[in-house]
Amino acid sequence: MHTALEFLTRIGGGALGWLKAWGRLLTFGARALVETFTPAVYNSATRSVVLKQIYFTAWQILPGFLLFAALLSYVVIQIVVTTARDFGLSEFALEVSVRVVVLETLPLLTVLFVALRSGAAINTEVALMNINNEIRALEDVGVDPMRFEFTPRVIGGAISVFALTLLSCILALILAYIAVYGVQSWNVGDFSRVIAKVFTPVAFLTLSVKSLLFGLAVTVIPIRAGLEAPRMLFFAPIAVLRGMVRLFFVIMFIEVASLALIYM
Amino acid sequence: MIWLNDSAEREAMIESLPAAALVSVELPLRANLSVLENIAIVPQYRQNLPFEVAADQAWALLARLNQTDCAFKRDPSLNCVERFVAKLLRAVILRPPIILIDRPAILLPDVCYPPFLASALQVLEGEYEDCRILDYVWNAPLYAPR
Repeated sequence: MHTALEFLTRIGGGALGWLKAWGRLLTFGARALVETFTPAVYNSATRSVVLKQIYFTAWQILPGFLLFAALLSYVVIQIVVTTARDFGLSEFALEVSVRVVVLETLPLLTVLFVALRSGAAINTEVALMNINNEIRALEDVGVDPMRFEFTPRVIGGAISVFALTLLSCILALILAYIAVYGVQSWNVGDFSRVIAKVFTPVAFLTLSVKSLLFGLAVTVIPIRAGLEAPRMLFFAPIAVLRGMVRLFFVIMFIEVASLALIYM
Repeated sequence: MIWLNDSAEREAMIESLPAAALVSVELPLRANLSVLENIAIVPQYRQNLPFEVAADQAWALLARLNQTDCAFKRDPSLNCVERFVAKLLRAVILRPPIILIDRPAILLPDVCYPPFLASALQVLEGEYEDCRILDYVWNAPLYAPR
């Protein structure tokens, strides 16, 4: 009886801790979102942090990322087009490849790429800032860390993910046209009709909101995980690990929710 | 000078002066910013100055202390004097009512710090209103009698 009670208490304590952590994460995300739309946040210092974040998250990786996105898109589109032709379903090839590549694969690929590169870096940096007491040092000289360090990273991260997704999707649409019709402009009308069929208002809105949510998740979750690190150096890798796992599940949740919204 | 007998007294003193800007080993520089950026960030953020203007102010303060060589270094590359100067100027540029230098013996372990502090504060005179040094009583003999 005693052991069972102890077990239940431990389970309850764990569940409560889990819920509290998610509660703190949502509160932090909501605060970051409110600050994003607060004009007072945007001064010379915060603008420079936003620009630096966009530079490191999007600009620095742009050529390599676009090359990789183009290669992957072209391969997937070719597979879909060839398979559709083999089954006598050529008229659906373009629609299917746009749905697979533009609506699903590229936004997910973009956010995973940014999460692995910038999300992990942000998580580590914030955890070390927290552990080294740099956050309190900033507060002591009258610099609000939320406004100077965290909100600009959220804004920069969201803009970067959205921009990378948009660019890779445009590139994929061009490649899809070339793969299906070849390098000529006679079928632009047919192509436009298929695109209009795929990008219904719901699909377009879902893609936009999904990209923005991915952008928020990829910065808010690592920052919050870094802030939760107890102030001892050996907790830094644990904070990064927790942040990255939480980020993976949130990305997958957003992806599945968007799929459900479009196809169910 | 504020002479202390133990850490509890020190903590109470710091708490009793909430408006003071603290120069302390417990308040490090931002590790991914240079010394110049660490100092300039205060007027840039608080007064919404363009970075160039804020950096000019920071550079002028570093020049007064003859420490412009460390302007573009980051925290791990600094020696104890450079690190102390960066922290002191970050507090000075804020123009608080009081600057509190907490346990200079820890901030400047390789320097005979009482004369160094006296000369640095003299050079910066006019840039701050009041500066107090928190040190333990057993370090009192190190300071020159007034």
